[in-house]
Amino acid sequence: MFELYVSAVIFGLCISGILFLVSIGISIGFGLMRIINMEQMVYYTFGAYFTFALVSSTGSFLLGVICGTLVAAGAGYLVETQLLRRVYGKELMFTMVVTFSVFMIGIGLVQYGFGLASKPVGMPFRVLIPILGAQVPLYRVMVFAISMAVYVLIYLLLNKTIVGKAIRAGIENPEQVQGLGINIRRIFTITFVVASGLAGFGGALNAPLVGVTPYMGFEMLLFAFITVILGGLGSIKGTLVSALIMGQVMSVGGTIYGPLAFVGPFMVMFVVILFRPTGLYGVKGRAFGFEE
Amino acid sequence: MNHFARYVRGPLILIALLVAARYMFPNKMTFLFEVSTFGIYIIANDILYGYMGMVSFGQPFYLGIGAYAAAIYLAHIGHNIFIAISLAILAGLVTGLILGPVYIRLRGDYYALINAATCAMGLFMVEKVMLPITRGDDGLWYRARMHATPFLNLKMPGDVFWFTMIVLLIVMIFYTWLDRSTLGAAFRGMKASESKMKFLGYDTFKLRWLGYTMMCVLAALAGSLYAINYGFVNPSITEPARAAEVLVATLLGGPGSVYGPFFGTLAFLGIKDFVSNIMTRWELAVGILTIIVCFYFEGGVWGTIQTIGSKIRGRFGKKGDAAASEAAQPPKS
Repeated sequence: MFELYVSAVIFGLCISGILFLVSIGISIGFGLMRIINMEQMVYYTFGAYFTFALVSSTGSFLLGVICGTLVAAGAGYLVETQLLRRVYGKELMFTMVVTFSVFMIGIGLVQYGFGLASKPVGMPFRVLIPILGAQVPLYRVMVFAISMAVYVLIYLLLNKTIVGKAIRAGIENPEQVQGLGINIRRIFTITFVVASGLAGFGGALNAPLVGVTPYMGFEMLLFAFITVILGGLGSIKGTLVSALIMGQVMSVGGTIYGPLAFVGPFMVMFVVILFRPTGLYGVKGRAFGFEE
Repeated sequence: MNHFARYVRGPLILIALLVAARYMFPNKMTFLFEVSTFGIYIIANDILYGYMGMVSFGQPFYLGIGAYAAAIYLAHIGHNIFIAISLAILAGLVTGLILGPVYIRLRGDYYALINAATCAMGLFMVEKVMLPITRGDDGLWYRARMHATPFLNLKMPGDVFWFTMIVLLIVMIFYTWLDRSTLGAAFRGMKASESKMKFLGYDTFKLRWLGYTMMCVLAALAGSLYAINYGFVNPSITEPARAAEVLVATLLGGPGSVYGPFFGTLAFLGIKDFVSNIMTRWELAVGILTIIVCFYFEGGVWGTIQTIGSKIRGRFGKKGDAAASEAAQPPKS
């Protein structure tokens, strides 16, 4: 029984890693660009599909992950420069519907290119390692480790480089940053490309764990939103902590009572929205549902 | 009488067009039923979004409440279809009154997402928790238990169509009245600036509550019509993934106008119907179309029709009329 829960916790950490990678884009999108990024999951889906394509054609998982990440980042660049620039500054509902349309177009393209059926992606390695008496797949542990490494990299990027400092300043006050002579549009593009690349990376890592289907983004979208709300707007640290909580809710909760894996996160969101709308690390008054 | 005619003329023309379409394209009756019912559902969402400016990602929940209220009554308790519809409306009313005070305190995206959460939990309830009553994913089948009703036999899809026309007419008259009444103006005022409405002495909490409850009742009504026409209900009616359809259709039609929801529904379902004949998957086409509408036709389908109409009238010299219809255009969102 104990081993069951140990492996549930490890699986939860793996889910947390994926959730963290996928929801950074949504969190930063709120914080920096003041838009609701429903189309982040397109990059997640693209990442997973291009991983599938390369794994099935070349057999190399590493190549698949790299290709998936790059394609996702490229798609993000295209969408940001061609479409989202026209959306900045409009009301939130408008951004929501436009980005959701992009999401639908992405799903349509994936269906056009790869068909409707679920595609399997083989595990890169099937080694099991013993942790506290439970046999856990090494791959899941590695996914968690990689996402932690990504967090450290993002932390360094935001705190040690000029671009990162400009991004953080932009989250606080975009107009002021522009007043200092920094091209905020370029900052937006850079952030967006990085975020969509990370979403693609998350999709690529998740591809062997779940079946790759055109609609894989829908469910992830809801969970990613819950993660962002729980963590608080624009806070990378908050996103990480809430992803960790969410992973455990889904995995351990699902072990205790099956349906909790799907409903648990929604219950968490329900409670959080009603009692602490700013999330764990959000600033009061600058919450997710900001109204000016 | 003249006063009353103002509210009735437009809806009557609409119903007449639908009935004419029903005889011109006899094999499209299911589509027309779908348009009418979905239209009521979109009207419900438009009261929320177009008038009060509240976005919800969980509309299927309210549709599902009506559908399941009617279905549970018909499958387990009674046989009378009219009672089933009344129960669905009652269920919507009770839902609105109970959930309202909790939800409407929330603003913007919180409101949108708590509805998504509610919708997911509603799906969970009907799929897993209430399994003995709702029979989970199998759904409830009760066509054989429905008793025939006098005048319009609601067991027959042909008569359900006529019944839906009557319901749609009533809903449209109500909606036209809402658009032109002080209440509608108060809703619009709240969308523009809530603090100013408060300053003017309106109790915005009660107004929001009223609007939310109206939405619940209308959505539940649409749900019960679905339940009665198809004779079965399964959990797919409350799937959170279907919440997007509602927003797209509302935006496509032009939010905050009387005929916007109806034309939005017609355009959305029409495109879906048309595109799925050609390329089996409709997401791509609907996505591209929504973006085009968002950027180039800000008033939606109905707003564009109004603009073209006023241009044509302007060309033929009726300057006053054109200016009037220009002024009557919905506020751009």
